[in-house]
Amino acid sequence: MDIEDWRRMIDEIDAQLVELLNRRSRCAIEIGKLKRARNLPIYSPERERHVLERVRRLNRGPLDDEALQRLFERIMDESRRLERLAAESPNGLGEHAG
Amino acid sequence: MIVIMEENATEEQIARVIEKLMQLGFDVHRSTGITRTVLGAVGHKIVDARELELLEGVAEVVRVTTPYKLVSRSFRSEDLEIRLGDVVIGGREIVLMAGPCAVESREQVLEIADAVKRAGAKVLRGGAFKPRTSPYSFQGLGEEGLRYLREAADRYGLLVVSEVMEIAHIPLMSEYVDILQVGARNMQHFNMLKELGRQSKPVLLKRGPAATIEETLLAAEYIVSGGNPNVILCERGIRTFETSLRYTLDISAIPVFKKLTYLPVIADPSHGTGRRDKVPPMARAAIAAGADGLLIEVHHRPEEALCDGPQALLPEQLYELVGQLRQIAAAVGRTM
Repeated sequence: MDIEDWRRMIDEIDAQLVELLNRRSRCAIEIGKLKRARNLPIYSPERERHVLERVRRLNRGPLDDEALQRLFERIMDESRRLERLAAESPNGLGEHAG
Repeated sequence: MIVIMEENATEEQIARVIEKLMQLGFDVHRSTGITRTVLGAVGHKIVDARELELLEGVAEVVRVTTPYKLVSRSFRSEDLEIRLGDVVIGGREIVLMAGPCAVESREQVLEIADAVKRAGAKVLRGGAFKPRTSPYSFQGLGEEGLRYLREAADRYGLLVVSEVMEIAHIPLMSEYVDILQVGARNMQHFNMLKELGRQSKPVLLKRGPAATIEETLLAAEYIVSGGNPNVILCERGIRTFETSLRYTLDISAIPVFKKLTYLPVIADPSHGTGRRDKVPPMARAAIAAGADGLLIEVHHRPEEALCDGPQALLPEQLYELVGQLRQIAAAVGRTM
């Protein structure tokens, strides 16, 4: 395969990533609403640690564990933000939130 | 804002900082490095960095944005031009404000107003209420002085700038003056700054002799955030370890202010040096450095002046200086 072929494959994977990240975000939004209803803090360090440990266990490379952790830190940064927005205005967060 | 954690910071310490940042209203970008974790705080909140610096495990807090907002260049990119009749402060033309340190008599002000008008000044300065280092020094003529200033300015087609010493004087001063001056001693008189924020007349804000550029801009922020957008900053000399002159006129503050803020910036080489012979070179330097105007003390008989005679220029010295300043102004793309 040539560069162009690999890039087409990356484009396909990116499309899936966008879909998956948004599915994940919708879960975070629902959690944000529930946390508000139950008066729980948005930030749960225990849970974040658990997520990171779990993705490291699932990792089979070639991404090394640290690289994977860095990527998931960014994903969780954005999830935390979405949870906060959802908790602040539970009805105002649509499909294109943020 | 960026919070850099110590190398050996524990997961619990990092979690507490993230929690604190979120309480303060930030979104957090966490980046776990090989040796250190860095937390990027995203949001427009203004916080006291010490609240974070004192948390356990924090090595350093780096502020990315300025603590002032409305007076910042990032809020407004083009220079502010303050229009008073046909005088524009902060435009291409450099504005000369000149006059006696203190109003001493009607005749004195009329004579000096005539002289500064001939020199090309647009604004007549003069103190009616004087903040003096010693309680035994001449304290000013008060309202009588304001009347003389107004009369002299009107006769020669000048505007008036005079210092406001206290909040209670603001309504009275506003009847007579076109620009309300905040003296260096009062730069952090925050209640007065708030009251000046409610006025419609422009404010000439002098930098305190021990105030940083950031503190000066925060003082201006008080006025602008109160609703008065027309503030003129004035560099008038700061305290340094150098003792040969009264103060060190911080010429470098002029380009720094001009970069950080869109407000007009002028310089006062009279108070900045305290000596007549040092006023012309500092005035020339200020214009070369980008000042939008100068505030210069002038007296026709400085040896008899009741206030700061040694720093007042004679009228003929002012004429000579203005001739030089016009050439410098042209060299830096300005007029005078």
